[in-house]
Amino acid sequence: MTELNETIHQTVRLRIMAALVTLEADQEVDFSYLRNLLDVTDGNLGAHLRKLEEAGYIVVNKLFEDRKPHTYIAASLEGRKVFKDHVEALESILKVK
Amino acid sequence: MNISPSEAEEALVAIQAVVQKTRRYISKSGVYAFLIVWGAIWLLGFSGSQFLPGKLAGNIWIGLDILGGVLSVVVGVRLNRGVRSSTQSASGKRIAWFWLLVFLYCSAAIGVAWPADGKQLAMFIILFVMLGWMAMGLLLSFASVRWGLALTALALTGYFLLPGIYYLWMAVLGGGGMIALGLYIRSRW
Repeated sequence: MTELNETIHQTVRLRIMAALVTLEADQEVDFSYLRNLLDVTDGNLGAHLRKLEEAGYIVVNKLFEDRKPHTYIAASLEGRKVFKDHVEALESILKVK
Repeated sequence: MNISPSEAEEALVAIQAVVQKTRRYISKSGVYAFLIVWGAIWLLGFSGSQFLPGKLAGNIWIGLDILGGVLSVVVGVRLNRGVRSSTQSASGKRIAWFWLLVFLYCSAAIGVAWPADGKQLAMFIILFVMLGWMAMGLLLSFASVRWGLALTALALTGYFLLPGIYYLWMAVLGGGGMIALGLYIRSRW
């Protein structure tokens, strides 16, 4: 049986990963777009993104567009796989029930 | 790490909610704006055709179409702002080219067939626009095909069965229908 992933299971990180894996593999989303989508604060989102980035589950791309800094975030291949495994683990808990 | 079945269920529900919200945000955001813009243009333009002298109504249509073109470019540029993708950008350019070609082919067809009156001219344009709508629907969002078919059916019904109030018919049901559909998509998505 696939194990639950403690890093991903935290509520905000779970929602971040759910949003990111819904994107196409070649898509990345702007920080403020993700913040509005998930209805979280800048600080909260930033802290959880750091954890996910440290774990290698997301890729953070910082760049300048029209002289303004932009942060784009995408799920890494590893992140997509780990999230899929985590969902399977959650589903298997329900099946046991 | 161990959790109870109810916690697992809560987590899955939360995931599903975010997945749905993300899909709505990304794939549907902004589309409603095109419908509202062009619905308003149809409402004003066809109302003008129904109630104003032909030349004045024609000039109003030219102004409205230019306005619609500009607003469509603005909406198109803002569409999916916040999401980057190399393939998406390429698709956006192809869609813009497609609509430019629809416009050119429609103009050529009008030049060749030279419709006898305003109603025929309007139907020519509507049929080309609806053909483009169908093509977009088949490629991007299959659900929108039925709305395009419904609008085409409305236009043909008005043209053949209600020629006396055709423009009013198109203003209220065509333009009003697009505005209502746009507002519906905006609130639902």
